[in-house]
Amino acid sequence: MTRTEILNELKKVISPYTVNKDQLANIDEQTDLIKDLKINSANLVDIIIDAEAKYDIEIDYDSADKMVNVGTCIDVISEKMNEKA
Amino acid sequence: MISAGNDVVSLAAIDITRTNQYKFYSKILSEAEIPLYNKFSLARIPFEIFVWLLWSVKESAYKFLQRSEPRLLFTPVKFEVVNLRLPHNCSLSPFNYPIHEGKGFKEISHIQSTIKFADNTLHACSVLYSELIHTVANSGDDFNNLLWGVKKIGSDDSEAQSAGVRSFLLERIKKECGNNFRVEKNNNGCPVLLSAAADFPIPVSLSHHGCFVGYSFMKPGNLDSDGLREQSTGSPES
Repeated sequence: MTRTEILNELKKVISPYTVNKDQLANIDEQTDLIKDLKINSANLVDIIIDAEAKYDIEIDYDSADKMVNVGTCIDVISEKMNEKA
Repeated sequence: MISAGNDVVSLAAIDITRTNQYKFYSKILSEAEIPLYNKFSLARIPFEIFVWLLWSVKESAYKFLQRSEPRLLFTPVKFEVVNLRLPHNCSLSPFNYPIHEGKGFKEISHIQSTIKFADNTLHACSVLYSELIHTVANSGDDFNNLLWGVKKIGSDDSEAQSAGVRSFLLERIKKECGNNFRVEKNNNGCPVLLSAAADFPIPVSLSHHGCFVGYSFMKPGNLDSDGLREQSTGSPES
């Protein structure tokens, strides 16, 4: 998957945890999950687990803690998908 | 450091089924922490509440450390809770307060915990009700000058949470030392209390989840009912 394809799928993963739907539609790699999308930190584990299920990957905690903005989420997902391939 | 991290968890906002799944709680708890649940089991407190209590403790500890280490990333399992002390007759009572505030925890039933992270040892106090968990963490175990509060607001909207927690904090600081304070963020994005009368900002920690908001800060020694004064080493008249 390209980064754009991962980003488009990531929007669906994030969607249940943000009420900022307009901002979600316009996210880019710099978008911060907490500061920009107002996602509560308590939902970050949900997003990681949903991403694991969506992409059939396993995200270890060292990788999970890097997932603070959209770009780093794509980095981690892309890396884990490549490891699996 | 004169600061204290805090975190609130609205138990109405948690997913009980998911929290009880290993793939979920193993991203919050280490294997070594799971046996700490035994005490809670005896007190008939559900496992999901134990998981979110530890989350709250870890997040508070992270927020305390992040103020001095802005690049610190939050990895819950790396913040290890090594000790938990429950109060006598620990149980889940309803949250029957319009607001719940305190200075320290001497008069309040609370859970004490100790957290290790890298070379740091931190201490935390948590209040637990059937609707919420509120935790404050500090590097020392003396909470006597720590001011904290938690309250329910009318909405879980992020703007309402942000406005609600700030007005709640400002009401408290007004009661403590007058009404000339405002909340701003410092260069690292951490909230501080500022006043025209204050020569230095007071670090504060803000939190919100669902319909609950909370705050904590250490009361500086020279903060009194007339505002924040610079302590003088000379005579008052000079």
